[in-house]
Amino acid sequence: MPDGKLFGQPAIRIDGRAKVTGRARYPSDEVVANPAWAFLVTSAIARGRIRGFDLQEARAVPGLLDILTHDNVGGEAEKPQPMSGGSTTPTLESDQICHDGQIIGIVVAESFEAAREAAHKVRVDYEVQQASASFDSPGAEEEVREAGEHKDYQVGDAEAAFAAAEVTIDARYGTPTQHHNAIELFTTTCEWRDGKLTVYEPSQFVYGLRGSLAKQLRMEPGDIHVVSRFVGGAFGSKGGITARTAWIAIAARRLNRPVKLVPTRDQGFTIATYRAETRHHIQLGATPDGKLTSFRHEGWEVTSRPSQYNVSGTETTARIYACPNILTKVNLVHADRNTPGFMRAPPDTPYMFPLESAMDELAAALNMDPIELRRINDTQTDPATGKPYSSRCLMRCYDEGAARFGWQRRDARPGTMRDGEWLVGWGCATAAYPANIGPAAARVTLSPEGRARVQIAAHDIGTGAYTVVAITAADRLGLELGQVVVEMGDTDLPAAGLAAGSSHTAGISHAVAKACEGIRARLAEAAVLSNDGPMAGLDPASLVLSAGMLRGPAGQSEEIQKALGRAASGVLEVYAENLPKGVPPDAMGKIYQGQMAMSRGHGREDAITYAFGAQFVEVRVHARTREVRVPRAVGAFASGTIVNPLTAHSQYMGGMIWGIGAALHEATEIDPREARYVNDNIAEYLIPVNSDVRSIEVIMVPEEDSQVNPLGIKGIGEVGIVGMNAAIANAVWHATGRRVRELPIRMEHLL
Amino acid sequence: MATDIMLTVNGGQHRLAVDVRTTLLDALRERLDLTGSKKGCDLGQCGACTVLMDGRRVLSCLTLAVAAQGAEVTTIEGLAGEHDPLHPMQQAFLEQDAYQCGYCTPGQIISAIACVKEGHANSADEIREYMSGNLCRCAAYPKIVAAVQQAKPLMKGR
Repeated sequence: MPDGKLFGQPAIRIDGRAKVTGRARYPSDEVVANPAWAFLVTSAIARGRIRGFDLQEARAVPGLLDILTHDNVGGEAEKPQPMSGGSTTPTLESDQICHDGQIIGIVVAESFEAAREAAHKVRVDYEVQQASASFDSPGAEEEVREAGEHKDYQVGDAEAAFAAAEVTIDARYGTPTQHHNAIELFTTTCEWRDGKLTVYEPSQFVYGLRGSLAKQLRMEPGDIHVVSRFVGGAFGSKGGITARTAWIAIAARRLNRPVKLVPTRDQGFTIATYRAETRHHIQLGATPDGKLTSFRHEGWEVTSRPSQYNVSGTETTARIYACPNILTKVNLVHADRNTPGFMRAPPDTPYMFPLESAMDELAAALNMDPIELRRINDTQTDPATGKPYSSRCLMRCYDEGAARFGWQRRDARPGTMRDGEWLVGWGCATAAYPANIGPAAARVTLSPEGRARVQIAAHDIGTGAYTVVAITAADRLGLELGQVVVEMGDTDLPAAGLAAGSSHTAGISHAVAKACEGIRARLAEAAVLSNDGPMAGLDPASLVLSAGMLRGPAGQSEEIQKALGRAASGVLEVYAENLPKGVPPDAMGKIYQGQMAMSRGHGREDAITYAFGAQFVEVRVHARTREVRVPRAVGAFASGTIVNPLTAHSQYMGGMIWGIGAALHEATEIDPREARYVNDNIAEYLIPVNSDVRSIEVIMVPEEDSQVNPLGIKGIGEVGIVGMNAAIANAVWHATGRRVRELPIRMEHLL
Repeated sequence: MATDIMLTVNGGQHRLAVDVRTTLLDALRERLDLTGSKKGCDLGQCGACTVLMDGRRVLSCLTLAVAAQGAEVTTIEGLAGEHDPLHPMQQAFLEQDAYQCGYCTPGQIISAIACVKEGHANSADEIREYMSGNLCRCAAYPKIVAAVQQAKPLMKGR
């Protein structure tokens, strides 16, 4: 456990001033000399091939510099390799079209306006084939997902137990297509100098971007420099490389001039990833006193034609409640769509909705309080593998959340808590997310002024990572927060992994702490060896850094600057790598090569590591219009050590509001004939706005867990959304008596 | 087609030759290196590009640069110099943690200042309503409301 004073103290973001003054440089804000402008040409059909282009009109636009299509650059880059799912759809490599909105050309001109005009004047002759949009579309191909990256669980005999169960729930659920819609667009700026490439692009994994790009362009990774100092929202969408980057690099090489791309909002729906629509079949069997006897969960997920991408959230649902008989299965449905990818709590958000809805249905069938049902089936042992949880404070979350929410005042009968025109409903649900962690490296430099510089190619996607790094270093070195400078988001710095899977704080804190321990050890060794110092002859392991001093066990102390003078003639620099438990020995090398390496909360040998939460929601459904509002929500979470409660609160709160969006607003609508997204903008793709949100309360339940990792950090970015879908659906049932099993829940479902 | 224009931004005058189709947002970002104003949609849907024109909040992505001539444009960079004390609204956003990624923040702060000056910050409900044109995907909304409430009394006389 951290022993310093700064862990757990609310700290204002060290990059906050840059953000509130507009001086934080997001990748498209970085200055390059005299850039040319790119504009994407995207396909107007979802399936077929390009017979040819008519570029005459486009070429006549004043200021036009270049047009890239498969005809002239197709062989110059390979498709990017997704981090998950094996393969993806093509762009300019060939004449094939595999989804609507696929990049098929790049127009480059002297100005943004000229590039846009010329792009709209590119004429394309298509050979059109009938496209399959989604589930149930003719031509969509279904297959069982084989065990590989994800696996299924079979414990006992779930079918027989279900058949024999006295109380059963057997229901089907669905979740919609969703797009991240970070406010920052998918920008890319590329610049070449002496055969070396610099890329400014928002990224959750700068080394990953570099590694993939090097393969695609057949370059040495060391000749590519990726810069992403600030990221304007990501939520998973900026984790894996997309096809655009290589083509912009090629465009810049052809012109020998920097090229800048700022794609449009609608293009963002098809040139990057999204959360695919899912379907679920859940069967629960229970005894009359509420003990689960059978759990079956079968999922279906849409993906693109070439990809095997899937999220398989059954890896979470199979282990939430004690149950002797478990059976899970996941199916893929290939359609003519862009390849989906990570989106906030990728497996858990869509898969926990059916489980936690079904648990609410079971509670109603048993005439039992839904929290009581969870208590009866709570477990400290993972029922899917028999391994212990490193820690699991689910019921404490329920107890603290319920007290705060006032759950005991709930009348269990649906439709009974009316307030004038409004039908009031209260619902709750479990949130869970695996505690993942990746390897990372960090360099810490202590200067003679007693200031520290921390360098790590980590990513602050809004999580407060800059501040987490500064807190860790200041805590470990006994400095003030203001005495620490942090550099991140750049492949010139020591490598860190993908900022995703709620793994980043844990991964980077340990690397920084390790480098700081290296500094302490060097100072301590020099101090005990110098005969004239107060620490001469002491055990170096007994010396600590605190409040600007190196201190001995009996009160001996020396200013850190003086201690530094004994250890180094100038600055003291320590580079350290941290390999967490559960990752292979070559994991750090993989990160440097741009590959993903992560220890997952359900993949460890010794224990299952998860963060848990209990989420409570009040909904108000208007008696006549059926408008649904969420006046208040309470979330209680136990996620181990909280490094910075100020930013942690923002993370949890943001996740909960994402859950309001997911349950009530968000869905990408697909034209089933053309396999085309129709509401591809943020006026028609509804995300929560300020007036959609009222009271959001976050309770951080204290939890110490030294098994999950030495600092006890579980990660918080995703668990906040996980229970919201079901909590809201359960509250809507409580308000109206109507059980909605398809998201989002809208007025028309409640008429 | 290019044309010469004169823009007054944060008290300074700038003579520029711009394409007549150039938006105020692109002129600020790409010509004047005032990249605090952000492009989130280019369609007037997100509010990340909000600037003040003669004290009124406008969407700079829906304003042509040529149409901004003769107006006093204030961007996020104009609220406080690099080493100056922050504007009370900036300070409130900082202290309330009224953001996460920070990308919509310049637009939120500019919009919040206008919201107060318009007299639309008299209650939490009113602030929510009049700040709903500025989307925050990180969903810092409750803290944005708190920041506006914190800054409002400190803005008297500014």
